[in-house]
Amino acid sequence: MIKSTTPKNIVFYADDDTDDLELVQDAFGKYTNNVEVVTAKDGVQALTYLQSLQEHAPAPCLIILDINMPLLNGKDVLRKIKEMPPLAAVPVVLFTTSSSPLDKEFAKKYNAGFITKPLDVAQMGIITALFIDHCSDEIKKNIRKQPN
Amino acid sequence: MRMSEFADLPLSKQIGIIYQQGVYVGKSKKGQFIKLLFQLEYFYIEITYISYRLSIYKMRYSEATSILDPYLDQIGVEYLVM
Repeated sequence: MIKSTTPKNIVFYADDDTDDLELVQDAFGKYTNNVEVVTAKDGVQALTYLQSLQEHAPAPCLIILDINMPLLNGKDVLRKIKEMPPLAAVPVVLFTTSSSPLDKEFAKKYNAGFITKPLDVAQMGIITALFIDHCSDEIKKNIRKQPN
Repeated sequence: MRMSEFADLPLSKQIGIIYQQGVYVGKSKKGQFIKLLFQLEYFYIEITYISYRLSIYKMRYSEATSILDPYLDQIGVEYLVM
């Protein structure tokens, strides 16, 4: 039997709320064969991780950013990501408690998705699917494929 | 929408309205329960979770600002002057 050694797709998620970090990690739990969720607890930590990837590691297939984070907020992290050539093309989603039209406009301006955090299990299921929808077609197929 | 009208809606509709129109105010923890507070027009809705953002234990509504008390440390000045 040949065992596949295909590397997992990395979903990077930055949020200072540990309950939300756990929520998203659990949501991707059913894709654990194909997805690894890497997390950061503030904007500076997020940017440090992403900058370290530029030289020697595969880019995430999706970056999820909370807006209200200490040290550097999600909108500033998004701005900086778009100035980093290797990461500028990676899909980014602002995942937030905000429903502000200004924040939605900001996301649109920077070609990022905008998803309000869920209030119940039904919304969480939809949102997990929406996260994956932001990835490229090839990645989507890879993430959703069932293990043999 | 008045608070009494909101209170008469089924839970799924209430959740949909909070998701679309609610303004997040803050989060608090008491024992095993996590609570989220939202403002909808002139009243507040507090959601208490058994399982955070997944399974709702109860909701309470209030027009009184005293419901803000456990969340005051998280509320920015810009919210208070709105």
